[in-house]
Amino acid sequence: MTILLESKQLNKRFVLGKQNEHHVLKDVDLQIERGEFVSVMGPSGSGKSTLLYNVSGMGRMTSGSVVLDGQELSDLSEGALSDLRLTEMGFIFQHIHLLHNLSIFDNIILPAYLARNGSRAGADRRAAELMETVGIAELADHDVTQASGGQLQRVGICRALINEPVIVFGDEPTGALNSKAAGEIMDLLADFNRSGTTIMLVTHSAKIAARTERVLFMLDGRIVAERRLGKYTGNGDIRAREEGLSSWLLDMGF
Amino acid sequence: MIATKILRKDFQRKKIISIVVFAFILLSALLVASGTNLIMDLSSALNALMAKSQAPHFVQMHAGEVDQAEIDRWAAGNRLVEEQQTVEMITVDGSTLYVGDSETAEENSIMDISFVTQNRDFDFLLDLDNRVIHLSPGEVAVPIYYVQRDDLELGDTVRITDGAFERIFTIAAFVRDAQMNPSIVHSKRFLVHEDDYAALREHFAETEYLIEFRLTDAGQMDRFSQAYQSSGLPKKGTAVDRNLFKTLNGLTDGIVAGVVIVLSLLLMIIAILCLRFTIIATIEEDTKEIGVMKAIGIARGDIRRIYLAKYAVMGVLASVLGHLGSLFLGRVLSANIGIYLGEASKGLLQHAVPFVAASSIGLMVFVSCAVVLRRLSQITPVEALRSGTVGESARNMPALALKKSRLLDVNVFLGFRDVVQRFKLFGLLCFVFFFCAFVIIVPVHFLTTIQSPTFISYMGIGQSDIRIDLRQSDDMVDRFERMVAYLGDDPDVERFSPLVTSQFTMIGSDGAPETISIETGDFSIFPLDYVAGTAPEQEHEMALSSLNAKEMEKEVGDTITLLVAGDEREMTVSGIYQDVTNGGRTAKAVLPHEPDDVLSYAVSLDLVSQRLIDEKVREYSEAFYPARVTDLEGYLAQTLGNTIEQLRMVTMVAVAVGLAVAVLITSLFLRMLISKDASQIAIMRSMGFSLRDVRVQYLSRALILLSLGIVLGTVFSNTLGQRLVSALWALMGASQIKFVIDLLQAYVLLPLLLMLAVSVTTLINMAGIRETNIAEMIME
Repeated sequence: MTILLESKQLNKRFVLGKQNEHHVLKDVDLQIERGEFVSVMGPSGSGKSTLLYNVSGMGRMTSGSVVLDGQELSDLSEGALSDLRLTEMGFIFQHIHLLHNLSIFDNIILPAYLARNGSRAGADRRAAELMETVGIAELADHDVTQASGGQLQRVGICRALINEPVIVFGDEPTGALNSKAAGEIMDLLADFNRSGTTIMLVTHSAKIAARTERVLFMLDGRIVAERRLGKYTGNGDIRAREEGLSSWLLDMGF
Repeated sequence: MIATKILRKDFQRKKIISIVVFAFILLSALLVASGTNLIMDLSSALNALMAKSQAPHFVQMHAGEVDQAEIDRWAAGNRLVEEQQTVEMITVDGSTLYVGDSETAEENSIMDISFVTQNRDFDFLLDLDNRVIHLSPGEVAVPIYYVQRDDLELGDTVRITDGAFERIFTIAAFVRDAQMNPSIVHSKRFLVHEDDYAALREHFAETEYLIEFRLTDAGQMDRFSQAYQSSGLPKKGTAVDRNLFKTLNGLTDGIVAGVVIVLSLLLMIIAILCLRFTIIATIEEDTKEIGVMKAIGIARGDIRRIYLAKYAVMGVLASVLGHLGSLFLGRVLSANIGIYLGEASKGLLQHAVPFVAASSIGLMVFVSCAVVLRRLSQITPVEALRSGTVGESARNMPALALKKSRLLDVNVFLGFRDVVQRFKLFGLLCFVFFFCAFVIIVPVHFLTTIQSPTFISYMGIGQSDIRIDLRQSDDMVDRFERMVAYLGDDPDVERFSPLVTSQFTMIGSDGAPETISIETGDFSIFPLDYVAGTAPEQEHEMALSSLNAKEMEKEVGDTITLLVAGDEREMTVSGIYQDVTNGGRTAKAVLPHEPDDVLSYAVSLDLVSQRLIDEKVREYSEAFYPARVTDLEGYLAQTLGNTIEQLRMVTMVAVAVGLAVAVLITSLFLRMLISKDASQIAIMRSMGFSLRDVRVQYLSRALILLSLGIVLGTVFSNTLGQRLVSALWALMGASQIKFVIDLLQAYVLLPLLLMLAVSVTTLINMAGIRETNIAEMIME
């Protein structure tokens, strides 16, 4: 398996005022292989979301290196980073963050139209297929106000996948959903992962993390532990995985 | 204390926005105070000049003999006459006069130049300190018109010579002439000592007279004028009154004042709209905080007062600074008044009015803020704390779905779509751009119009290459006939039209005889644009200037009874035209004329080639000496020179104001918009939209709105703007001004200038986006 994303000695400091600095990420070394499904867990303030945004180039690291698919992110200009986000990455957010002045379908095709990845007609077809796959085909012409939280998160997934990115990042993608919807979303993500999409997500829920194949545990800005769970097949082994993970987390003091 | 902290914090949070809004209020207060100050100055200076010079109430110009005893008898028998004097003027041809260092005589000046002595009883010619001028022999006082034109100084000379006679005078003073100050009045009086006058009189025999009256009741000027016209007293010339002196003296600066005040009111409207936008956006941003304040029991009125305090401080400060600024700007604007009319001491009222005007701006701002802040009552604590918004949502527009856009760049499309979707929000910016375009285009159009050769038609004259005016002399008839014959034989002349202006008598509506000055000739050769009807062609037709028609209450088709060769003839009004000369009171007809009644002869002509103009002007000046020969450009420049200069200044100010407003409002609006759209921008950037992509979106919005504003501004300028300008000039006799439009300037260069200003402003204001941290925005 090849390494798709790697960080070395990644540091992030926030300057809060005169002589007041918050060192959020401390010498973080991370490797994610192509096709992996990785989750990052840890208590509030451990730096998990900061890690996500810094390895994706949305935040600027203070020092260290992040290489995605052979490209060193710190070497890239703002324009090149934008291009990379557009064509190589997908994002799924807790609060979904759709553009409220566009329809659901337009939200999905927007990154594709911008990327000029093939024809617009081709982008429309891909969007329709994705919507069909995730079960929201009937919502194409709806406003974003005309869908439930779970439906909107599926829209978020479609948008993240429209340009067939090499990696998808998720920041608490199920955080705002009820457990049923959360389960459905994770099943979808697991399906996409099984089809070859690399996924890295942040979560505070063991139930969610149990559906990923590797869990990284962060504490005070560092990755302090890791547990391999193996690929989740979706064939009824989730309870055992949850229990195993929960007891491991208890041992971590989480 | 807390309020001060809140105010300071709010200012620090939105420095640029606060400064821009403050700038608008300040500018509005500055302009309204300056405009009213200008009107106060103009009014005081005019009244002071009229009073100090003891300007006559009624003046009848007369070229010919005068029986003073007859005038005295008539005046003694008229209860309205308080004082009477007859002023003799030696008229000299411009070709004999050399002003200042000029080696060229005034031969082709359109001005009728006269030499006079200081009047005895009233109508005094004043110096620049508004003192009655008293000269010594060898000295001359020169009209202000020449001071501005030739940059003269005291001590310069004026030389009068016709070859056989020469006299050099030293300029000892500059004349403020209540009757003849403005350049639009084509007569100028040079003042000399009695001894010099006597010497000139011996050599230059031609004289004209001003038969002047001061009345016991200034309100009876019209009645007096009718009485004079009905009398058998000399009236071979134009009759004018004090109202006309005031109008003509105040015209140029009055227009400037009017424009400045209109600008300030429009700026105030913009300031109020900006404030409304700013306050609403602020309330939206602070909804959570307002919800918290309400939840903990702070009364709505107290919350409102906190916000209102900021705008109250802004309004008061801007009004005070605006008023102070007007004390300096006022000096610049009133400079022309200072030269032409002099300065008058101002009473308390004249000082108070501009201050009150500036304060009213602050008050209106405060009141409109108070009205907008009533929205605070719409915010419920629960809703605000939960959602943090007042609940704005954009409506979906299926017709403008992204998926339907196949050709347009994504960012341009998003910009366009947003403008349509949130037009209520963008309406302010569009209105401002419309205003900017209007404010720029109208003065530019007017300046182009007044500089255009076709403007001559508003002076009651058809457009021709050259105009020749014969001045009063004993052999005027012979000279005229020789001139007509000469021109008829000149192969370089394509066409020419002899015109004769004579004094006719008409029977007024009350049956009393009145004099009327009528130009006779063939008007089809150099046609005028008529406001109504057509030029007279038959001998029973006549056309009236619009002011004449208005005063006589005549329309096309109405009749006027004229005395022609002793018989009454009913004349039908065939047309009404515009004429700003001669007080705007002229008429045209195809009639025979009596040489004794002729006031002037003129010929308009076109040459076979315009390249011959300069050469022919020289040739005709020599051949027809002492006729006045001018080309069209020269005629316009001499008549309207000062007005054009003032208008040019106003136009530059208007362009600067228009651009400044566009830039300021774009800055303000963009900053507010970017702040409002911050989360949406962060989402787009997280998706992969680059800074360049976001810039294109906002630039598209700005340029789409600007284009719409320019189109609307252009349409309104060409319609409403034209009507506004016409309304102003209607006072002078030109009520239907049609803009002459420089297409390249108005429809290409100025829009490009605006687009450049707005584009640069947009890009500069977008620089802040680079600093936003996407991750922080998303995580928030």
